[in-house]
Amino acid sequence: MSADTFFSINTGSTEPIYRQLIEQVRRRVASGQLSAGQEIPSVRELAQALAVHPMTISKAYSMLEAEGLLERRRGLAMRVAARHERAQPAADRIELLRPTLEHAAAEVQQLGLPSSKALALFKEILASHESGEP
Amino acid sequence: MNDLISPADPRGLTLSPGISASTLQPEASVQLRGLRLQYGRQQVLDGLDWQLLPGQVVGLLGRNGVGKTTLLESLLGLRDVQAGEVQLFDQPLDQLDDALRGRIGFVPQRAELFEWLTPAQMLAYFRSFYPRWNVAKAEGLLSRWDIARDTPIGKLSGGQQQRLSIVRALAPEPDLLVLDEPVSSLDPVGRRDFLRELVEQVLDRGTTVVFSTHILSDLERVAFNVAFMARGRIVLQAPLDELLEHSRRISGPASAVQACVSAHRLQTLASTPLNNGGLAVLGFGEQARSLAAAALRIEPLSLEDLFTGITQ
Repeated sequence: MSADTFFSINTGSTEPIYRQLIEQVRRRVASGQLSAGQEIPSVRELAQALAVHPMTISKAYSMLEAEGLLERRRGLAMRVAARHERAQPAADRIELLRPTLEHAAAEVQQLGLPSSKALALFKEILASHESGEP
Repeated sequence: MNDLISPADPRGLTLSPGISASTLQPEASVQLRGLRLQYGRQQVLDGLDWQLLPGQVVGLLGRNGVGKTTLLESLLGLRDVQAGEVQLFDQPLDQLDDALRGRIGFVPQRAELFEWLTPAQMLAYFRSFYPRWNVAKAEGLLSRWDIARDTPIGKLSGGQQQRLSIVRALAPEPDLLVLDEPVSSLDPVGRRDFLRELVEQVLDRGTTVVFSTHILSDLERVAFNVAFMARGRIVLQAPLDELLEHSRRISGPASAVQACVSAHRLQTLASTPLNNGGLAVLGFGEQARSLAAAALRIEPLSLEDLFTGITQ
């Protein structure tokens, strides 16, 4: 897997870069895009590819290891832990979307929009992604 | 290899304004105490304390004219201060020997590069002053960054001159790298190349780096720590991750905001009265993440929000 295409980061966000990396790994493991045994880029590779301080990367990896999503092997690349053989059921995966939607819901309220308008927009966005023309 | 370049824990710095000079720390790369400098009636450095530990990469932020260049030049002894003490690698600045001076790299805001020389001649000249000089690295960077070796420097573009200035600073493999707006004339591709080079320095050598910039997106990537300069001092230095996670903008009726700040033992980074008679506080502390109060509005902050608030 190529380090710079697999991970992306947003600067200017209220979310620190290491958290963004953690969320991306979580989502990809949940969806099965990353499966058990698959190797992830080394701290060095990813730091160079993203031009990010190496401690930021190792902080993300250490927390993912503590969570049990990644496993460290002496002298070898880190990989997705064995217990993540299959994608999680959709019922679990949908929960990963909750923080993003909570955030969107707060904005809908601040903008004083009716839920029907917000839902219509979300459906429209989903449809454009499914047709491959975001 | 000496112990200087072993990566230190950059989280070991105090989070409160000012710096506590711990005696337990290993040799600090930079230690400033009580720096004062006044131009006319303007107090540019007003008892400034600052410490950079080995291996830290610190982004220096402050508004235009606040004195970032003055601070960086004072730190290097290029500008005399009226009071205070500068130590580099645990040595007073005026007692630094050539070997220690050779461990410092500096990229000034405006490169002073001997415009009549070619890049090849200029680098050969500088090489003679340094105990260590990585020829392969300098050559590699010249090629990678498309700098014409044999064109007089005065005829190079502003961006190429800036890149050359970076090559000159990196070639001696410095243990301390000081950069003053190093990317101001570079395009986004050039900036990314430069950031990769910085990351490489950190990976390979554990270089202590301090750089000033107004391009916050660059700083977010490579700076693990950020230092904010305002009113002649470093008013806050902290790991950027912690700043983003543990600071919130709390706004609402003044008494409720103040009660919330003190109940959750938050440090007030900035405080602004609102038009409607309310108050907005940038609060920072462990408990900031779990704040919830019906009467208050609580929002997370980006680096730009923090910059605007803290340097006002």
